[in-house]
Amino acid sequence: MIALRIEQWRAWAPGVATEEAWLAWAQSPRVLADQQEQPECLSLPPMQRRRLSRLARMTMEVASPLCGDDEQLPFVFASRHGETTRTLDLLGDVAGEQPLSPTQFGLSVHNAIAGQWSLLRGQRGESVAIAGEADTFEHAMLEASTLLAAGAPSVLAVIAEEVPPDAYDGWITDVPFSYAVALRLGCADVAMPGSTWQLDLDRHDGDTPPCPWPHALDFLRAMQTAAPSLQHAWKRRRWQWQRS
Amino acid sequence: MTTQDPVSAQAALEQEIAQLIIDTLNLEHLTVADVAVDQPLFGEGLGLDSVDALELALALQKHYAIRIEADVKASRKHFATVASLAALVQEQRSACGS
Repeated sequence: MIALRIEQWRAWAPGVATEEAWLAWAQSPRVLADQQEQPECLSLPPMQRRRLSRLARMTMEVASPLCGDDEQLPFVFASRHGETTRTLDLLGDVAGEQPLSPTQFGLSVHNAIAGQWSLLRGQRGESVAIAGEADTFEHAMLEASTLLAAGAPSVLAVIAEEVPPDAYDGWITDVPFSYAVALRLGCADVAMPGSTWQLDLDRHDGDTPPCPWPHALDFLRAMQTAAPSLQHAWKRRRWQWQRS
Repeated sequence: MTTQDPVSAQAALEQEIAQLIIDTLNLEHLTVADVAVDQPLFGEGLGLDSVDALELALALQKHYAIRIEADVKASRKHFATVASLAALVQEQRSACGS
């Protein structure tokens, strides 16, 4: 059993960035039109901003307000699909026998965004980049709980996905629109403000249909609508969320 | 073949290279007018770094079909400013043309 306290959160999706907008989405979830919008990240100097992909900008946008300038927080970056736009461009160059862009190549690895976060915010602590299946969100929470158990007072976790290029149509089906969710997590047994949740993993043998929304967004929905519990089933895994 | 004043041809090439730098390295906050031909590109000047140098070498090779040798000392000289890059392109072009 894992117990976590959500100290603060931020989320971004096309046209939905404020708490009010997310509350409206939580009350009637819908697929958002994705026109390649991206956060401008104007607080970053242009020379630093220029190498940020759309996925990286989304990550910076949601993570930044949750980390104080004088704070060092362990960082968990979680994305099932990662930088699909960059990698498809690189694959196109490989197929066309063209030389690869060093910048694109260097930033296509899964922990590149965690590295950029570290550089841009002077974060010198631990960071982890993970990719799981449709339940990547729960695996990120598991990862964060291990960092808390190791003594971190708070952990910053970001779950981010970008709608992939058309070439992935039919292959990637769990990203209805681009989104990023940042959660600042703390230990559940500390008497501090925030909502506290328990997470259990059971074996899933039934045929519960997969969640219609990305798990991180579904969790956000449950958090905002005061739902007491929720279940996310994926393959043989059933994740049970319970408010405590 | 059109004859062109060598001075304006050089200026045109410098402008083209400045634009290539801006486009290749996503310097969306700059225009060609912001990049003086004798301004240092790396370090204290424009603020480019070693990854930019690799990216720029690749773009120049693609765009001008020239070859840039992996000689650190020579590269440092060629990549100093827009003017020195234009001179390199000019030199490589005439070498290839002859």
